Amino acid sequence: MNALATFGLWAQRNRWIWAAIGVLILWLVLSIVTSRFSLSSLSGVILSASFLTVVGIGQMFVLTTGRGNIDLSVASVITLSAFVALLTIKGQDANLAIGVVAAILLGLAVGALNSLLVVGLGIPAIIATLATGYVLATATLLSNKAIPGFAVSPSLKDLATGRIGGVPIMAVVAIVGVAVTSFVLRYTVFGQLLSAVGQNRAAARLAGIRNGRVIASAFIISSVLASLDGLLLGAYIGGAFLEMGQPYLLQSIAAVVLGGTLIFGGSATALGTLFASILLVLIVTTMQIIGLPPGAQDIVQGIVVIFVLALAGRQALARRAPADLADGDKGAATKTRADTATALPK
Amino acid sequence: MSHIAVAVQATAAAAAPAGPSVVSLSGITKSFGPTLANAGIDLSVRAGDVIGLVGGNGAGKTTLMRILCGAMWPTLGSICFADEEVAFAGYDTGEAQRRGIRMVHQELSLCANLSVAENFFLETPADSASRPGWRALYRARARAALDAVFPGNGIDADAEVGHLTIAERQMVEIARAAATPGVKLIVLDEPTSSLDLDRSKQLRAFIRERAKAGLAFIFISHKLQEIIDIATEVVVLRNGRTAWQGHAADASIGKLVQLMGGDANPVHQHPVTAASSQDVLVRLSGPLTATLGRDIDIVRGEIVGLAGLEGSGQKELLHAIFSPDRNQHAGVSRRAEAGFIAGDRQKEGVFPLWSVLSNISIGALARRPAIGLVSDRANRDTAIGAASKLRLDDKRFQSNITDLSGGNQQKALVARAMVADTPVILLDDPTRGVDIATKQDFYRLCNEVARGGRALVWHTTEDAELLACDRVLVFSGGRIVKELAGEAITEQAIVGASFALSADGQARAASKRTAPARLGRKLVNAAPFIGLTAVLAIMIAINPAVASTFGLDLLLMPALSLVLVTAAQMFIVGGSEIDLGVGAFAGLVSVLSATLLYDQPWLGALALAAALAAYAGLGGVIQARKIPAIVVTLGASFIWVGIGYALQPTPGGASPEWLSTLFGWSIGFMPTSIFMIVAVALIVLVIDRLPLGVVLRGFGNNPAAMIRSGWSPTRYALVRYLIAGLFAGAAGLSLTAINTASDINSGNSYTLLSVAAVVMGGCSLLGGIISPVGAVAGAVTLSLIGALLGTLSVSSDYNAATQGLILIALLTLRSLTADRRSEP
Repeated sequence: MNALATFGLWAQRNRWIWAAIGVLILWLVLSIVTSRFSLSSLSGVILSASFLTVVGIGQMFVLTTGRGNIDLSVASVITLSAFVALLTIKGQDANLAIGVVAAILLGLAVGALNSLLVVGLGIPAIIATLATGYVLATATLLSNKAIPGFAVSPSLKDLATGRIGGVPIMAVVAIVGVAVTSFVLRYTVFGQLLSAVGQNRAAARLAGIRNGRVIASAFIISSVLASLDGLLLGAYIGGAFLEMGQPYLLQSIAAVVLGGTLIFGGSATALGTLFASILLVLIVTTMQIIGLPPGAQDIVQGIVVIFVLALAGRQALARRAPADLADGDKGAATKTRADTATALPK
Repeated sequence: MSHIAVAVQATAAAAAPAGPSVVSLSGITKSFGPTLANAGIDLSVRAGDVIGLVGGNGAGKTTLMRILCGAMWPTLGSICFADEEVAFAGYDTGEAQRRGIRMVHQELSLCANLSVAENFFLETPADSASRPGWRALYRARARAALDAVFPGNGIDADAEVGHLTIAERQMVEIARAAATPGVKLIVLDEPTSSLDLDRSKQLRAFIRERAKAGLAFIFISHKLQEIIDIATEVVVLRNGRTAWQGHAADASIGKLVQLMGGDANPVHQHPVTAASSQDVLVRLSGPLTATLGRDIDIVRGEIVGLAGLEGSGQKELLHAIFSPDRNQHAGVSRRAEAGFIAGDRQKEGVFPLWSVLSNISIGALARRPAIGLVSDRANRDTAIGAASKLRLDDKRFQSNITDLSGGNQQKALVARAMVADTPVILLDDPTRGVDIATKQDFYRLCNEVARGGRALVWHTTEDAELLACDRVLVFSGGRIVKELAGEAITEQAIVGASFALSADGQARAASKRTAPARLGRKLVNAAPFIGLTAVLAIMIAINPAVASTFGLDLLLMPALSLVLVTAAQMFIVGGSEIDLGVGAFAGLVSVLSATLLYDQPWLGALALAAALAAYAGLGGVIQARKIPAIVVTLGASFIWVGIGYALQPTPGGASPEWLSTLFGWSIGFMPTSIFMIVAVALIVLVIDRLPLGVVLRGFGNNPAAMIRSGWSPTRYALVRYLIAGLFAGAAGLSLTAINTASDINSGNSYTLLSVAAVVMGGCSLLGGIISPVGAVAGAVTLSLIGALLGTLSVSSDYNAATQGLILIALLTLRSLTADRRSEP
């Protein structure tokens, strides 16, 4: 009982644990029920999850800045980046450096545009990034016509699909990325500033933080990561196709929220995003094993997102409610919940 | 009456008026974590009473009134109406209003996007019955109510509240509460803070007259003279307890001040040090100091107090000093870094997810390079120094900041400013809601900090605190009207100077908008119509056949679906949300109608009804769980598409005959499509003009006020999404009818386009605005872009980019012409 309480407290601070437990349970169930599941099949799942993790980390930075900030352009960035890679690398290892630079530049450009619209002009992130995505869609259509062929650079292909001792290289890349992100969030000034801006923007400004810069950095990180992800994803599938980034839009948001990052901003967990990515891919894999049609897979994903949000939304609210009401100062007229009144002695 | 009232109570009880009891609260206790906002307070109100409620900030007045009005439940205590005890569990704002309690809030609770008459409707909706001309009823009622309280007010009942001055809004709010049928008790929270002397007198005359007729009032004010003038009985709260309760005749200003805790006078221990001109840290000049006729320098080592009536420009000056470029406040220059200590801790101070330590150390981190490393130990070492001076126990460093009392939270914020180590420290009413012991620590520390060579600029709402300052700048109407120094600083002098030019301040508060900005906004608002005309003109010029009935129909029929989706999106945006699944939902309805509805009409109709219910339920979930609509609707879009795929993996199906007829009729002289598009705009317009539309817009603008007026947010979220679902469903049916088949992806592109059309049409993403004509024109324009590009022989690849760029351009224009909201 006491151990449970201790765990409860610990889990409140380490919200990634729920996604990790979810992965473990689902994997165990699958292994037992289908007997087709093993460590090696898990590594396949992790490989797919790695691509989701990379874009998820970027999305996490943006969501953490709070006030409903969200990056809806990641899907278009992934697709366009894969096409740009085909255009610049042309299947030659010699062009790899140019390709990588192009991908980073693409990410920087889109991130800068998003920041300009959101921070500079005060356009809500959801509209700004949606509009950016539309402009990128046209760029994708144009590059689709210009690509010479679907050849992929061999080294890049090795990076995206290869394994070292059974472990996918991409998984290592993703895990290193998660480790670096965790470090940045926890042990750098930037991580603290990001959290502060996401929790209370007015307080952050008055504490001397330049909110605009922090928010802009988050959008740029998101776009650059999405762009690099597109480059690798293109190498993984051996080319590029229109709408290839589309599934990553909802999934990246789902991975972030499922992982325990607060949708209202201010608190992020990279480890959670990693586990949640694996969990989401596992869910899709499970549905494929069961033989559900693609439509049903969409339905389940949508339900998972809404369900997790409905649960997490209340948790975050409970945390903030006392802050809104303390002192009886003039704040938002939040109705205290019924539990408070029913807690009266009878 | 009160169990804890002091001895004086006996005299009050002896002279109790004989009116019947309206409401009585007993033993009210309310705790927020470790803080007791109310502790065992008793309050009894009888008909004809005018109770003056006074107390310092954080004394618990607002909490008590919120409990009385059902906006908050107490931890302990009971409430009785005419000797009938009512359980708090079923007591909410709606119930309080049914029992005749009305509150006029300090933060105004009118919907700024609605007219004066419509705001009257929100308070007493029962009489409208949705019949035509319901507005006239409320217009007349608003007129009569305003004239009854404030003769000669000249407020237009049809004016949008957002266009009124603060004083006029306050008058509308008071009149609205007073005019409510069946009202028994009106609570006025600082009603005169924004009224000039004449209006204040009118209000008091009105209160006196109505009290004679048996109406009860609770009058909360910091202006003690008014309290003594108007009240029959005075209740003094202090630190959440009743400090005194008695007859107004037994009270005097001096006595009340003392009872409120005015004895915690700060001691002035700090002689002014001679300062050289090099030590000037902040210089104030320009219009701000025009009345004084000279610049003001703030130098190292001094404490400068900002005084004046609340809202006379003190806060603005603090913010201007904090960021001189941002506010472009003429005449403020700062030569050293500044730190800020906010008194409104929840809004501008604490980071609620963090520990006390993190809340302190962010002050130092904010001024370091972003790539620097953070060490808990280093943070701790720095923070301990500041905390020990404040007597803030470092054992509490790991606690969450919200677990601390208001006083200790404030200590953490002060520590934050100290670790930031800036030469200038700005204080915005820092002792608000802080207990006396902490205040004393705080005054001592201020002296110490100033002696250490820093400049403190201190805005306070407690005039007594100004005695601790070396200099006091008195504000009136946004300007510094008086500078007091040393011995000249007395409460009398401050109060005298504060009122000197208050009439001028009222005039300044009037709204001011420049002509070019207005022109720019008009241009932006006309954009959809200009765009539509231009697009049509170009197309007709290139291909005259477009101008025929048939040509227009061919061109505009496909626009109908987008127009319907736009109408759906407009209602969602009107509630300051965005639906990213509305296009997918239209696609799903299209699939359902072309498959199930075609094959088995009954099953199909059932499925459509279920889909609609699910869609409306989504709105309920978003509201009830307070989760972001964007993500929920994005998730829902996957569900809609998934169901559609499962039903119909590839495009196909057929349109039921009756459906095709519904969209395929013709009246000859006018293109059917135009007729239907206009009809959609008209239907939206009618819904918006109905009482229902007014309520929905009210929720989009000021949900807190709506809840206070007793409207259910969840019910109206359901209604809002139901209306949107009906329009999106109609869009789905039109897709089936026009394409004579269905494809689950056919609606996808409409999602962004509908948002773009709504924005083009002049709706604000912040909510509260419905503009059907503009949005429909925007939708038609956007849907014509494809055809236009085709006519100009540009590849359809550019379609998406053109639409995206139009949206960006419009939003940019709008953000440049709109007056920038003060986004922190």
